[in-house]
Amino acid sequence: MTEALKLTGVVKTFGAVRAVDGIDLSIAPGETVALLGPNGAGKSTAINMLLGLLEPTSGTVEVFGQSPTQAVRSGRVGAMLQEAGFVANATVRELIDLARAVYPRPLPTDEILAAADLTEIAGRRIDKLSGGQSQRARFAFALAGNPDLLMLDEPTSAMDVKARQEFWAAMRAYAAGGKTVLFATHYLEEADDFADRVIVVANGRIIADGTGNEIKKVVGGRTLSFDLEGGAADGLDRMPGVTVVEVRNDRAVLRTDDSDATVRALVTSGRAFGNLEIVSAGLEEAFLALTETAQEA
Amino acid sequence: MFAYLKFELRRMFREPRLLVLTVAMPVILFLAITPTVKGANPAETDDIHAYLMVAWAAYGALLGTFSSGVGVSQERTVGWLRQLRITPLPPVQVVVAKAIACSLVAIPAVLVVSVVGMLKGVDFGVGQLGELALFMWLGSIPFALIGLAVGFLLPANLAQPASFLVSFTLAFAGGIFIPTESLPKAMQNVVHYTPSYRFTQAGYDVLQKHTQSATGWLIIAAWFVIFGACAALAYRRTAATR
Repeated sequence: MTEALKLTGVVKTFGAVRAVDGIDLSIAPGETVALLGPNGAGKSTAINMLLGLLEPTSGTVEVFGQSPTQAVRSGRVGAMLQEAGFVANATVRELIDLARAVYPRPLPTDEILAAADLTEIAGRRIDKLSGGQSQRARFAFALAGNPDLLMLDEPTSAMDVKARQEFWAAMRAYAAGGKTVLFATHYLEEADDFADRVIVVANGRIIADGTGNEIKKVVGGRTLSFDLEGGAADGLDRMPGVTVVEVRNDRAVLRTDDSDATVRALVTSGRAFGNLEIVSAGLEEAFLALTETAQEA
Repeated sequence: MFAYLKFELRRMFREPRLLVLTVAMPVILFLAITPTVKGANPAETDDIHAYLMVAWAAYGALLGTFSSGVGVSQERTVGWLRQLRITPLPPVQVVVAKAIACSLVAIPAVLVVSVVGMLKGVDFGVGQLGELALFMWLGSIPFALIGLAVGFLLPANLAQPASFLVSFTLAFAGGIFIPTESLPKAMQNVVHYTPSYRFTQAGYDVLQKHTQSATGWLIIAAWFVIFGACAALAYRRTAATR
């Protein structure tokens, strides 16, 4: 079967900056995949290359076995981009009609409006929409052509909590029809809740690829640190919940996905310890940890 | 492509300010300037007024089509061109539809200025009016294309001064501000190859009931190709720069 997406040795440099630094990735049709990473990780650059808006510096990008531009022209791809927007002086319905006219196999207008929850405001001018509404209009524009692959770059950035939930419900319904969905996000919860597979990107490289649970173990969790007070670090990695162990200047830094269990084990182990600290790992910090791990490996 | 053209035209119709401006400016110029210009005798005065009418109609068409082309800069800034680029709509159709929509701005300007002229006593038939509108529309397509090229290349804040420079040069070369006969010979030779000179001459040919000049339209066609290539290249560049 042809892969929905295939990137082979893809590098993209902008001057001295390597925005994408050697990505190999394939995604099968029907998968819902999240590209998770901090800002500047290379997510948008990767998506722009998958849409043919940017040419890779080296490596190849294929979408349904074709070049990205061919795939876009044949109407198999729909996308919602961060830097894309709509012009004024058109209504939501006119915009959707335009999208339907340029795609070969569009969805019925009513279905599109309902999917993006725009039925009530179909006659409203684009420039009169709220942030969340205009984001939904962009979603409607992306799915109007009934594309086999939907790419969404930070789709919920302008939405409040409720709009976010509604948006993901609509997206999930679309994906359930056997469509391939790739979305970029910097929210771990979003990636975990809505994707079958989460690909973590940092500094232009893939540093983890797995299910939401697998990723959460590494990216989520807490960091626990204490002075070893001269004791050995042996066996720390076997304590419950611990995923990564580091020792810096007689201080142990443990990453754990179950800090309660780890602390209990530490106390009962009879080890000497001092200045115990437990901090919940911010995502940025977790990315850093992951990047370091990836470089060591 | 027709769906996109329809979409663009409907938007233009909804935002009539540009259209009103392109019509108002030449009308005001015509009404303000013609009474001050007198010939040696009444017949000559009428002749001059007729010329001025065609000159300002041409100016309105030129400026209107050119500026609506430049307006695409705004569409690029908000990311609309990027949005279109990720649909199956081929880039060449975007440029063509846009050029058609912008060139149509010429027609109201020409019609209104001519009708005002006719009401002011310029001897101009309805047949001539139709002919003038047709030729001014066709002849202004290159201006729409160069306007698009400027709009694709430059951000909105730079597009404005650049478009003033380009439109002023075009109007000057077209003999709209100063008759080209009063220019030095060397400059006249250059001016004769410009699209705007040939454009206004096409208008004068309608006025004088001359047949249209084949050379003139060949030169306009050549500029159509050149400016069309500029617009296409500029559009391609927008892919990388958003």
